[in-house]
Amino acid sequence: MLKLKAIDINYGDIQALWEISLRVEEGELVAIVGSNGAGKSTILKTISGLIRPRNGSVEFEGKRIDGLAPDRIVRAGISMVPEGRELFPRMSVRENLEMGATYIGRARAQAARSLEHVHELFPVLAQRAGQLAGTLSGGEQQMVAIGRALMAKPRILIMDEPSLGLAPLMVEEVFRAARTVNREGVTVILVEQNVRQSLKFAHRGYVLENGRIVMEGTGKELSENRHVKEAYLGL
Amino acid sequence: MDWPSFFQSIANGVLIAGLYASVTLGLTLVLGVMGIVNFAHGELVMLGAYSTFWLFTMLGIDPLLSIAITAPLLFLVGIFVYRFTIRPILKDPPLNQLLLTLGLSIFLQNLAMILWKTDSRSVITSYSGMSLHLGMVHVGATRLITFAISVALTAVLIVFLHKMRLGKAMRAVSENNTGSWLVGINVQKTYMLAFGVACALAGVSGSLVSTIMYTYPMVGFKLSLKAFCILILGGLGNISGALLGSLVLGLTESFVGTYVPEGSGWAEGISFFLIIVVLIIKPTGLAGTRRE
Repeated sequence: MLKLKAIDINYGDIQALWEISLRVEEGELVAIVGSNGAGKSTILKTISGLIRPRNGSVEFEGKRIDGLAPDRIVRAGISMVPEGRELFPRMSVRENLEMGATYIGRARAQAARSLEHVHELFPVLAQRAGQLAGTLSGGEQQMVAIGRALMAKPRILIMDEPSLGLAPLMVEEVFRAARTVNREGVTVILVEQNVRQSLKFAHRGYVLENGRIVMEGTGKELSENRHVKEAYLGL
Repeated sequence: MDWPSFFQSIANGVLIAGLYASVTLGLTLVLGVMGIVNFAHGELVMLGAYSTFWLFTMLGIDPLLSIAITAPLLFLVGIFVYRFTIRPILKDPPLNQLLLTLGLSIFLQNLAMILWKTDSRSVITSYSGMSLHLGMVHVGATRLITFAISVALTAVLIVFLHKMRLGKAMRAVSENNTGSWLVGINVQKTYMLAFGVACALAGVSGSLVSTIMYTYPMVGFKLSLKAFCILILGGLGNISGALLGSLVLGLTESFVGTYVPEGSGWAEGISFFLIIVVLIIKPTGLAGTRRE
């Protein structure tokens, strides 16, 4: 469904990604794990069009999408929950969610139904509907960011460090949401430093070190791997 | 207390505040959405005023009806200016952006002097001299009409920004660039249209200006200095602040003009005094909040 082939990314003189190739099949939940600065977020920003690769290609359902502006990629069916959430702080929770569907033709027609669905996933957002997004707690803001991305009716949902900086209960909530969404048929790509949790939920995973993919396998294989255990799970 | 002149001062202040608000709205829109301080906004108002003057003089088109021409005309000018001057410097440091819009402002002033000389032109219609008596207060018909149009314009802009898809996109872009891209907004295109809409607003303001002030090459410069004062008074980049700031400046000028000896001279400079006071006492502006 989604294929990255030999992607190189540079930030100025520094090369952040080296020949990254990975594939994601329809319906999968794929985790990309690695330590801080390994280049995980850079992969996701490349998929969503926020960064253009120097070399390599990104294919979505057989069509190249690298080089397209982010708004076109969202319309093609790939929505992103960005690190730092990037909400509209002076709009209400409800407005933030609606914005997710407003600029996507096929999602706009189903906005009311999608909003109900987001409220089922995160009931607290229904209570907070009128509140300004900037005044919410970090966990609630993360829910709005996930909800906003879902309002676009994506085929693929990519999540950049959704558990970062959240209280343990909220972390659970966010992972639960990712799994629910995946079970409902949305393909999910998850980037995380929380290696234990994400490998537990993921069908497959990639391990990223210093801008290169060093390992690939099912969630179970990776969490039982000796290197992964020593480097990331503290075992 | 001399009540008639007190109420007259209030009426004059409120009426001129409407014009100030219409000039400031376009400036606020560009600053809020694009983060660019457009020093040439006043010159776009000046172009609107000259367009109105020539449409009136050569074709006999009523200055208020000519809004239907100046608004779309200045919209197109705005798209052109954006495409060839603003877009290339969008990612440059703020100082370069300031210098560019300031240069554009000086260029347009001089272009106007070359094309139309420095003569003060005025648009005199059949209703220019009419005035209404409302209780103790005398109100010029053109002032009242320009005020009404300014109020209507503000209302339309607010509805546009909160109800229309494009208007909401402008608000979204003003709040979060990355977030806007990720919900499917083409941020570049939104910049262009916001700049165009701001210039269309300048066109409308220009038509209004031509009916109550002299039209000359520096008229826009004078107005944009006042608009900057209003921005600082009200807090950068928000509409309610711009409205409040306009009212404060209009009333202050009017009262200083009436009650201070030699006041009409002082009134022109009072805006700078207000800028200094606000920057010292409440740097975020009267309606402003600190931005993250």
